[in-house]
Amino acid sequence: MKTNSLNKKFDKIRFLEENNKLVSKDQNRLLNKFLNNKLAVLGLILFTIIILATIFAPLLSPYDPLKVDLRSMRQPPSLDHWFGTDNTGRDVFSRVLYGGRVSIFVGLGSSLMAALIGLAIGCYGGYRGGWVDVIALRISEIFTSFPQIILVLLLVSITGQSLTNLFVIFILTGWGGMYRLSRARMLSLREEEYVQALESFGISTFKICYKHMLPNALGPVMVMITLSTAMFILTEAGLSFLGLGVQEPMCSWGSLIKEGAEIMEEAPWLLLFPGVLFAMTLFSLNFLGDGLRDALDPRASKD
Amino acid sequence: MIFVISFLVYFGLDLTPGDAVSHMISPELAATITAEKLEAMREAYGLNATFLERYWIWLTSCLKGDFGYSMAGGVAIKDIMVKTIPATLELSIVALIISTILGCSLGILSALKKGSATDSGLTVAGMAGVSIPEFFFALVAILIFGMHFQWLPVGGRLLPHYENFLDRIPNIVMPSLVLALALTAGAMRYSRSSMLDVLSREFIKTARSKGLPEWRINLLHGFRVALTPVVVLIGFRLPLLIGGSTIIEQVFQWPGIGNMFIRSVRASDYPLVMMISLMYVFVVLTASLLIDLLTALIDPRVRLGKE
Repeated sequence: MKTNSLNKKFDKIRFLEENNKLVSKDQNRLLNKFLNNKLAVLGLILFTIIILATIFAPLLSPYDPLKVDLRSMRQPPSLDHWFGTDNTGRDVFSRVLYGGRVSIFVGLGSSLMAALIGLAIGCYGGYRGGWVDVIALRISEIFTSFPQIILVLLLVSITGQSLTNLFVIFILTGWGGMYRLSRARMLSLREEEYVQALESFGISTFKICYKHMLPNALGPVMVMITLSTAMFILTEAGLSFLGLGVQEPMCSWGSLIKEGAEIMEEAPWLLLFPGVLFAMTLFSLNFLGDGLRDALDPRASKD
Repeated sequence: MIFVISFLVYFGLDLTPGDAVSHMISPELAATITAEKLEAMREAYGLNATFLERYWIWLTSCLKGDFGYSMAGGVAIKDIMVKTIPATLELSIVALIISTILGCSLGILSALKKGSATDSGLTVAGMAGVSIPEFFFALVAILIFGMHFQWLPVGGRLLPHYENFLDRIPNIVMPSLVLALALTAGAMRYSRSSMLDVLSREFIKTARSKGLPEWRINLLHGFRVALTPVVVLIGFRLPLLIGGSTIIEQVFQWPGIGNMFIRSVRASDYPLVMMISLMYVFVVLTASLLIDLLTALIDPRVRLGKE
């Protein structure tokens, strides 16, 4: 009688396992936790909308962001020009969308690249140690001794200003943090039993490190990518605002805010629309990052 | 560490196009001047020495307190620093004090009322403070308070005939509040999580079971422990005292070191760029040393570890 019910239970578990339902449950928990965080979901939705809007900018806006139209200078927002027009009659709505392209592209691109480099070195360095680790650690220490904006400004003054240089500079300043994060994660993963098991099987270092350990180190890095994207977008805007970022005729949110600031008394919409959209992007990215961190943090699950 | 960085910075600046001589000679003169004369000038200024020799000369004179001269106008860099650093310190100390007091109290408030409307309101406001770029906020503040209502001056630090400190207060209000905004948000989030962490510990339960009044538990037992990480945070903020206000200084035309730095970057005034950034590095490294000492002072566990 008793064995029978036990057998039934085991059958049930085996059935679940064979249908891969046991594995997915754990991932669902993370997903559920993330979805329960309303602010994080809001951030995700908002950010997706903004990205889609910048990608499909030509479809959304009938105006060329660069086309000068002197007949419609400095018009306040209207049905024709949703966000108004600027000093030379260019449509602000399409300029904001195209500027967002540059801003998000720089932010997301450079933080992904920085993460890639940081992860590659950090994983190997954290797992194997050795001279690679020592050198990388020293170099990243050098980069972290500068306040970030100062380092960026210094590099801009050395390399000169252009979009590619901005990329390189952001990657240079960003990889150190990623490297340290993934290294610290690897240092603790290294002590786990499954790693020792893999080692005892004689599996090659690279395979253990990049195939088996890397996925477990990805969580915190994902959070950092989100947050550092926000930071890079902010820094780029700061640089463009100072006139040291992207150059005319290209525009980013920072340079749009700068243009708006020059005549903000007569045409406040030139300042407000790029600024508000910009703040919304950062807002959503920060919420997204926070939500991810909460979902991935095992300690926070108690609350 | 600082020597390594100074070497790298010097090396980087050495790679920049043009040398001191080509900057000194005006374009009209450059057409007529002979190659021998240029060479003689280079020799006279010691530019023909090898890279390492020049670095050594530069380094030793720096240690003696001679920081060299700015290329624009030939002003001694030391004089520029003496003039601009107090302005920056004035601005950021005010901002740091405001943000720390405000941030800690708001953070603890929202931790005590966890889950309430106050808490979620403060959380969203804090996120907004982190997300809105400070220069955008500064511009909106100028637009509203400086131009529309004309309550506060839109920028600058010292107006003629306004010499004593009280007269300068209106000038510092806006930049310091804007600067404090982002810092407040950070301090708030930090002290909130720190306080929440402490409140869930055992000794708080003990205090509660002893029948102590709630405010005593929160302030005397909880707050004291929660303060440790917050003090560390303030330590981390020390470099911000001179590095954090760069963009704000630019917006408000505050005559501080950050403003000077941006101007020198724009003008490619390499000696000045180099010295200011080295100074920043020096401050950051000193601050991180201070943090270590501070944590050892405050956290009893760190002290125990040494015994």
